[in-house]
Amino acid sequence: MATILIPTPLRQYAGGQSSVDATGSSVSEVLASLTSQHPALKNHLYNDEGRLRSFVNIYVNDEDIRYLDKEKTAVAAADTLSIVPSIAGGAA
Amino acid sequence: MLTEKLQIRYPTGTNVIRIEPHPWDVMLRHALDCYPRECCGIMLGTLQDGDERTVTTAIACRNSYEGDQSDRFELDPKDQLAAQRLAREQKLEVLGFFHSHPDCDSYFSATDLANSWPWYSNVVISIVGGALNRAKAFRANETQTESTEEILTWPQS
Ligand SMILES: [Zn+2]
Repeated sequence: MATILIPTPLRQYAGGQSSVDATGSSVSEVLASLTSQHPALKNHLYNDEGRLRSFVNIYVNDEDIRYLDKEKTAVAAADTLSIVPSIAGGAA
Repeated sequence: MLTEKLQIRYPTGTNVIRIEPHPWDVMLRHALDCYPRECCGIMLGTLQDGDERTVTTAIACRNSYEGDQSDRFELDPKDQLAAQRLAREQKLEVLGFFHSHPDCDSYFSATDLANSWPWYSNVVISIVGGALNRAKAFRANETQTESTEEILTWPQS
């Protein structure tokens, strides 16, 4: 089982937990396992078309999946997935 | 107890965020060093009584926005990954983020709101003419359609 670390704002949708164990051999499978355990997370991670939201970054260990195989990136049982928010802005 | 005093002073439901001296120094120095460009960084700390926030650590980050940084910033997700890790190791929470507005007031712009996340505190430090003008803190609602100002205190505030 891979471990998914839940950022503080999303813990309220994950039963208050800071990490959740999930099954699957790819990022998409692991995230599907996560959202089946905690359905309230789905809206916060995916848009209406079922794609990962643009302001959600997923890391497998130290690597951003955008630079790997995106949601098809392979996940092993010992891997840790992190959900990292995109934050930007400016006075303009 | 301090928390009881705060509960009396502020109405229920008001969001309170307090920045300790060391992290405030880090934040202000980063804002001054980056002037006239926007700076950005991450705040770690503790939560009391459910949602009273104390910033105990501030991490000055690189502005990774590619373009004119005088009125834009972007945090590198890698820096956030490292901050999340540090928070877990030190049993702290990532409470939010800070950035500066060079020669602009402290407000939460439409760009700030659109590129924020709910729940987190966002401290905006106004630097005018290379010196601190003021700082304010804001929090976005669930749908990122509006923000509310938090009660922010720092050592010299
Ligand atoms: Zn701003």
